[in-house]
Amino acid sequence: MKTLTKIALIIIPTITLSMTAAAHDPSMHAKKAEKADCSKMDHSKMDMKDPVAVAMMKKCMKQNEKSKDKMDHSKMKNMDHSKMKKNEHSATKKDEHDH
Amino acid sequence: MKIVKLLLLLIVLGIVSVITVMYSGIVDVAADEPHSELVYWLLEETRENSIKKAAESIEVPDLSDPELLLTGGADYEYMCSSCHLKPGQIESDMSLGLYPAPPNLAVSDESHKGHEHGDEMQSARKNFWVIKHGIKASGMPAWGKTHDDQRIWAMVAFIKRLPTLTPEQYQVLTAVE
Repeated sequence: MKTLTKIALIIIPTITLSMTAAAHDPSMHAKKAEKADCSKMDHSKMDMKDPVAVAMMKKCMKQNEKSKDKMDHSKMKNMDHSKMKKNEHSATKKDEHDH
Repeated sequence: MKIVKLLLLLIVLGIVSVITVMYSGIVDVAADEPHSELVYWLLEETRENSIKKAAESIEVPDLSDPELLLTGGADYEYMCSSCHLKPGQIESDMSLGLYPAPPNLAVSDESHKGHEHGDEMQSARKNFWVIKHGIKASGMPAWGKTHDDQRIWAMVAFIKRLPTLTPEQYQVLTAVE
């Protein structure tokens, strides 16, 4: 009797959990804030009179500008650019040495 | 006098029948149990005619501005796509579970069987009205309570172009900046 109870205690939660997992993919419910994937845009095939093409261009241009703004060094205070160059130089040298 | 008595008797019988059906619990309200064809037709016709009448005087603005596609696209992705699907998707938990099933707006009007869509203007008017006011007992919310007309028209503009979009175009237009 005790063995039966133990088996039931293991099997029932296992089946219940597996059924929940099979019901649907939880990732379908998760709304992630995705960035526009502009890498697949073929400009040569785009008709710039089509509102869809214009809207896509606008979206990708805005996204590009934003990512450039994020890397605007002039807005970065307390950054020693001379040290960065030295570091870059030594890193390149190290790479060359490793090869 | 006899006619009046007969009419009264019929009215009383009608009321008693309705009360009996209401309180007996014989009506199956489960969403996984479809209506009979007659009930479905009655509800569908009532809904379609109601929307057509309510939306007939709505003035449709210019929906060709590309900016509308960007605003409407982001809203569609977050508010509508889980039920009304997106390019490349054929079903979701919501589209399968809701009854009546929400129409797949990522396919052309011709693919929606059962009711007429009318011309582009009529379709835009109807979409605007449905998005703004919702539909009782169908799972369609009234987005007009939380969104102004301009945002709803942007969604209408996006829905108009949705069947022509590829999954890649959809991703770019609906992505958050």
